[in-house]
Amino acid sequence: MAEPELIVEQEFQYSSLYDQGQTAIVGMWLFLAQECVFFGGLFLTWIYSRYWNQAGFDAGSHGAQLWIGSINLGILVTSSFVYACALAFIQAGRPREMTWALCGVVALGVAFVGWKLYEYHLDFVGHFWVNDPDFPIKGELEGGAKLFWAFYWTGTILHAAHMTIAMGLVTYVIRRGFRGDFTAQYHAPVEVIGLFWSFVDIVWMVLWPLIYLMGRMP
Amino acid sequence: MTRQLLKLTLTWAFLMAVAGGEFVVSGMQMEMANRPVLLFFAGTMVFTVAMMFMHLATAPVVAKGFAVAGVFWLIVLFGFGAADMLTRNWYPVQHYNPY
Repeated sequence: MAEPELIVEQEFQYSSLYDQGQTAIVGMWLFLAQECVFFGGLFLTWIYSRYWNQAGFDAGSHGAQLWIGSINLGILVTSSFVYACALAFIQAGRPREMTWALCGVVALGVAFVGWKLYEYHLDFVGHFWVNDPDFPIKGELEGGAKLFWAFYWTGTILHAAHMTIAMGLVTYVIRRGFRGDFTAQYHAPVEVIGLFWSFVDIVWMVLWPLIYLMGRMP
Repeated sequence: MTRQLLKLTLTWAFLMAVAGGEFVVSGMQMEMANRPVLLFFAGTMVFTVAMMFMHLATAPVVAKGFAVAGVFWLIVLFGFGAADMLTRNWYPVQHYNPY
């Protein structure tokens, strides 16, 4: 089968489409490096605060929904796997399979956000919003527990925002995929947005033990 | 193609196994060793995703440089941030209230 005609044009400042794609990949890695420091600051303050309020943090984390967090970890790992398969499809010159695999990625992203919203609902029902007058942990552990929940809301909302942006970007790639923009020779946007998707997955791999597992320790 | 998909499937299975191991270890009585062990599991998952799903090993050299730089600045950030926690037993801090 003949390769479809390429409708993507090379920008004037690059020597080739390959050069253009490689530059985009490098640019995304630069962006991810600053994202590392962005989330690193959050993790550092989280760990530092936990160090001085260990019992309060552990008491607070017992209210978190471990099973939902774990299901969401499975969903995100699977979504990164499906995205990597989509990339393998387009590298092998199979754009149709790539596009459908990316639809699966977005579906998994929607499932993640859906579970997260359900978890937020349970958190509100359990009065775990930090300003809630019926916050369930009282006494000397209350301060540490509220600090845990402040980090929980900050960390998970930031992550969910990244997730939503990533889903929007993958939807953009799907649209271009259905239009026939990508071939085995040119698929830089697929690769670049896949990097961001996997990074969002990585952030959850760090948040999962911080939120749900640390407090389980005997 | 088939080989590539098999490799990705094995990576997915490995990640799930590591996540399962992390979950089991988090409930075990290991005194202070739990936290470094959890960090090891999380680090293994992050490294695996970077190498197998993000193809860092075959990325352009400058991209590898940015990835190393990201880790380097994290080490600097955590190093300075942990300085107080790590040295407080060596240099006790007096409780001082200026008000």
